[in-house]
Amino acid sequence: MNRSPQPYIDSYFAGVGIGLVLLASYVLVGHGLGASGAFASVVAAGTAIVEGSSRAGASQAVAPYLPNGLMSPFRDWLVLELAGAMLGGWLSAFFAGRARIAVERGPGIGTTTRMVAAVAGGVLMGLGAKLARGCTSGQALTGGALLSAGSWMFIGSCFLAGYVLAPFARRLWR
Amino acid sequence: MTRAHATLAMAAVTLGCAAAIAELRPTEAQPASLAAEIESETDHISALELGERLRRGDRNLLVLDLRTEREFQEFHIAGAKQAALRELAQEGLPQTSDIVLYSEGGGHAAQAWVLLRLRGYRRVYFLREGLYEWVSRVYEPRLASDATPEERAEFEKAAPLSRYFGGTPRSDVPRAEVPTGYWTGHTGGTTVVAHRRGC
Amino acid sequence: MITPLRPEGALVAAPLLGVAFGWLLERGGLGSAPRLAGQFYLTDLRVFKVMFSALVTAMLGAFWLDRFGFIDLRLVELPETFLLPQALGGALFGVGFLIAGLCPGTSCVAAAAGRLDGLGVVGGMLGGVVLFNGSFPWVERFYQSTARGAMTLSDVMPVPRGLVVAMVTAAALGGFVVAERLERRRS
Repeated sequence: MNRSPQPYIDSYFAGVGIGLVLLASYVLVGHGLGASGAFASVVAAGTAIVEGSSRAGASQAVAPYLPNGLMSPFRDWLVLELAGAMLGGWLSAFFAGRARIAVERGPGIGTTTRMVAAVAGGVLMGLGAKLARGCTSGQALTGGALLSAGSWMFIGSCFLAGYVLAPFARRLWR
Repeated sequence: MTRAHATLAMAAVTLGCAAAIAELRPTEAQPASLAAEIESETDHISALELGERLRRGDRNLLVLDLRTEREFQEFHIAGAKQAALRELAQEGLPQTSDIVLYSEGGGHAAQAWVLLRLRGYRRVYFLREGLYEWVSRVYEPRLASDATPEERAEFEKAAPLSRYFGGTPRSDVPRAEVPTGYWTGHTGGTTVVAHRRGC
Repeated sequence: MITPLRPEGALVAAPLLGVAFGWLLERGGLGSAPRLAGQFYLTDLRVFKVMFSALVTAMLGAFWLDRFGFIDLRLVELPETFLLPQALGGALFGVGFLIAGLCPGTSCVAAAAGRLDGLGVVGGMLGGVVLFNGSFPWVERFYQSTARGAMTLSDVMPVPRGLVVAMVTAAALGGFVVAERLERRRS
């Protein structure tokens, strides 16, 4: 694509739009959005393939996400939702002229550092999201709008930790 | 800040303030919506679910026993409080807790449910078959020797609960001795008490 | 009263809702890690603005739809509260977010738009989940500790739900004013 990318839309309008999507989710399916749960499902499926489904089912951590586990209907839903989010993200980027293979990084570091940081950050988020039973979509947004105490605690500790440690990560982003 | 932003902000302020005012007194429910709730079975909680919540030490739970004082002294669900039907027509109850009602067989509890819902309390549930359900499903669950997988699964959940409450689970029981009724081989009905299973 | 869709309908709704979600995230610029990380340096506060606009919208919408009897909020799954795991998990997540510049949802959006760093975050997250699963026997007790069930803010403070809604709305609007000032000063 050679045309210059379109600007982003106003944050508040985007937010209200997302809020309406979330509301639609509450109304239509009785629960909110989420993302990290889909990751857990993918790992569970992979574990079942690699280790065999009986060994996978023996693990208390993995079992709920397997096809007959407790999370089963919910896990399918989240995976489909996240797949939709990827499609939506691509469509938006494509039509805005922003779709391209690239590594986005802070001005002071190289690609390798960025990729290492991305993976490392991802690992921490994977751990954190499992412990907290959710992420920014599932806890902060979905639970926050429903006034769940744990979700608000998640919001608080997530951003507190980020802001407190931000000076140490300056090199990555400034 | 554009006009659109200002409009959104005004809408938020209005809806927010109105929300604060709206909850100063609970609105009384209409018979039509109550009927809908009854039909959709969102009005009851299963004994198993109640047992699990009690065991977890759920603080948002208020369990009310609607039988006589003497019946209550003889036996009641751990953690329950005794309450008379007449009291429920007048007394103030916490709005932020889940109120679970039970009686001997469920009749009085169902009537009390209607009473409380008419008064405007939203989070009210009852044990559909009362103490009978509690005893046969949680306190003294029995597994038939020819049990189906579903019955086994339910027993597996009920047995540790039973022991927790000081009851006696029994497996390998002749089919004739296993109580039948609405709840046989049927884990749950629709329980409303929201149970997010994590993300 | 609007009743939720049957399971089959819900599965159809899932990707549709997801597409809308992903589209809006990308349109709002949340598919770009340097912009997301900017929030921690107070230069670009779009994460705060988007997240809390969404939260307030959904919160007010849910409250009023329930109030007018169009939905039954008791039928909507409320994430359960686990005090310590969510406090620690949130902190870990926050650090990860700071370093990666993307969260689970936005990393998928970024990856879909071709950003390899987004793909890296996705990979890292899968790894984090594997790590968690592997260490579960040791972590399990902590993971299940301090459970409080379906606890809301209006159970914590003895304040009716409507008032909590009003307070959150006010706080968010106040936050937006501050955010605008900060952005103007720093960029």
